[in-house]
Amino acid sequence: MKKRKKQRGKKILRGILTFLILVLILYLLQRLLMPKYMDDVTEGGMVQEYYDEKKDHDVIFIGDCELYENISPAVLWEEYGINSYIRGSAQQLIWQSYYLLEETLSYEKPDVVVFNVLAMEFNEPQQEAYNRMTLDGMRWSGSKIGCILASMREDEDFIEYVFPLLRYHSRWSQLTEDDFRYFWEKEKVTYNGYYMRVDVRPAENVPEGRVLSDYTFGDNAYKYLDKMTKLCEESGVELVLVKAPSLHPYWYEEWDEQIRNYAEEHQLKYYNFLDVTEQIGLDYSTDTYDAGLHLNLSGAEKLSHYFGRILSEECGVESRRGEEPLEADWEVKLSEYHSEIERQLQEIERSGQ
Amino acid sequence: MKRKLLMGLLTISMVAVLGLTGCGDSKEEDNGAQDNAAEQEADADSSDGSSETPAASGGKGYVFETDGITIGVDMDMAPIADALGEPKSIFEEPSCAAQGTAYLYTYPGFEINTYPDGEDNYVGYVVLKDDTVSTPEGIDLSKTRDDVIAAYGDNYEEDDKKISYSKDGMTLNFIFSGDDLASIEYTSSVLN
Repeated sequence: MKKRKKQRGKKILRGILTFLILVLILYLLQRLLMPKYMDDVTEGGMVQEYYDEKKDHDVIFIGDCELYENISPAVLWEEYGINSYIRGSAQQLIWQSYYLLEETLSYEKPDVVVFNVLAMEFNEPQQEAYNRMTLDGMRWSGSKIGCILASMREDEDFIEYVFPLLRYHSRWSQLTEDDFRYFWEKEKVTYNGYYMRVDVRPAENVPEGRVLSDYTFGDNAYKYLDKMTKLCEESGVELVLVKAPSLHPYWYEEWDEQIRNYAEEHQLKYYNFLDVTEQIGLDYSTDTYDAGLHLNLSGAEKLSHYFGRILSEECGVESRRGEEPLEADWEVKLSEYHSEIERQLQEIERSGQ
Repeated sequence: MKRKLLMGLLTISMVAVLGLTGCGDSKEEDNGAQDNAAEQEADADSSDGSSETPAASGGKGYVFETDGITIGVDMDMAPIADALGEPKSIFEEPSCAAQGTAYLYTYPGFEINTYPDGEDNYVGYVVLKDDTVSTPEGIDLSKTRDDVIAAYGDNYEEDDKKISYSKDGMTLNFIFSGDDLASIEYTSSVLN
C-alpha cells in the first residue's frame, strides 16, 4: 500500500516536472522568436526601456515620433535641470498614450505630462506592426490589458498578445544573430526615450494637406483625450498639449482650432510649435533628417532649449541640478548621449553621407 | 526511467515546435514588426498572379486618365511614373520605424500618393486639384453636385460635404466646399 502511494506520488511529481519543463521550453522559444528591435526598427524597443529607469521624473512626454524624435531630455537636464522621460512609440495612438500614461502614473507622479496632439487624427486602430511596437514592450498590468483591447484590429487576437509565440512562431526561419545575442538582455536604444539622429536631409517640396470632407476629430479620439485630461486632473498632474514642429503630416488649421478650443475649455496649456519655428530658431534645411517629418539632433536640441524655458517659467518645473544621486545618474547619461553623437558623426563621415 | 522521461520531453517539445512552426497562415506574413521588410518581400512574392491582392486588382473600379495613360488605385506606380514623365515634385514619406516609404508625386493639376508593398509602390490615391484635369466621365472642379450625379448615377453615399461612389473595392470621392467642388479623389481601400 505504502509502495503504491509512493509510486503514485512519483508519477504526479514526474507529471508536474514534465509540464514545468515544457512551459520553460515554450517560454525560451517565445523569447527567442520575439523581435528584438536592436539593429533595425529600434523604435520597437522603446516602451520596455522605461522600466529600467528610476521613476522620479519631473516631466513625462507621452506620444508618437513627433515627441521621441523632436525632444531631447538631455538638453532639458543640462540647461534647465529638468529630469524628463519620453514614453514614446511609433505611431502611438491616443488610447495607447492614455494607457501608457495610466501605467506611468502608477509608478510615479511627475509635475507635468506633455502630450503631442497629432495622434488625434486617428480614431480607429491602425496597423498591427505599430500596435506590437507599443504593446509587446509593456509589462503586464490592467493598463496593458486595456491598451491591447483598445488597440486591436479586427484581424488580431488577444491571445496572441498573451502568448506572443503564437504570433511570432513563423519567425523561426528568419532568425538572425541578434535573436541570440539579445536573447537575455537588450541594449538601450534611446536617451531617456529620445531617438537620436544627427544626419541632415533638408525639407523640400513639403506638400500641403489634401482637402478633407470632415475635419472634426473622431469621438473615440476625444474620448481618450478626455480620459487623459481627467486622469491628470485626478492625479494632480498638469497636462500640457503640444503640436511638434514637424512639417508633415500636415496639421490643418481646423484641427488646430479644435485643440485650442479644447485646451481653453479644460484650462490646459497648448503650444503649437509650428507657429513659432522662427523663435525656436529652426532651419528646415539643416534641422531635419527626413525632409521635415522629424527633427534631427540639431532641431531637437533647439526645440528642447525653447520648450525647457516654457516648462521652467510657465509650468513652474524647478531645476534639480545638484541633487544627488540624480546629478550622478545624469552625468553617466550625458556621457552616453555625447558618445552617441560622436559615433553617429563618425559613421556619417565614414560613409560619406 | 530517466531515459523514458527525457524521450517523452523531447517528443513533446518536438511536437510543440513543429506544430507551431508549421501552422503559418497568411496573416503572419502580412504584419511583421521588426521583420517587416522580409515579410513585405514575402507578400510581394505571394502576390504574383494572385487575384486576391491589392496590387493585382489595380485598375479596377473608377480610373483617372491623362494623356492616354490610365491611372487606377492599387496599380503599380513604376510604369505609371515612367509614362507620365518628370513630375513637378516628389515628396518622400518614410513611415516611422521603417515600415516602408510612401511617395507623393505632384503633376500639373493632380497628385498621386503611393503606398509600399514589398519592394514596389502602388497607387494609394489620386487627387484632382484644379479644373485643368477631369475624370473620364467629364467631371472637373468647375462642375456642380448635379453634374456629378448626372455623370455617375444615383448609387452614391452622401454627406454634407462629400459624394462617394464605390466600385470594385475602391472609392471615388467628390468633396465640396459649400457649393463648389473642391477636390476629386480616387482612393484605395488599402488606405482605409
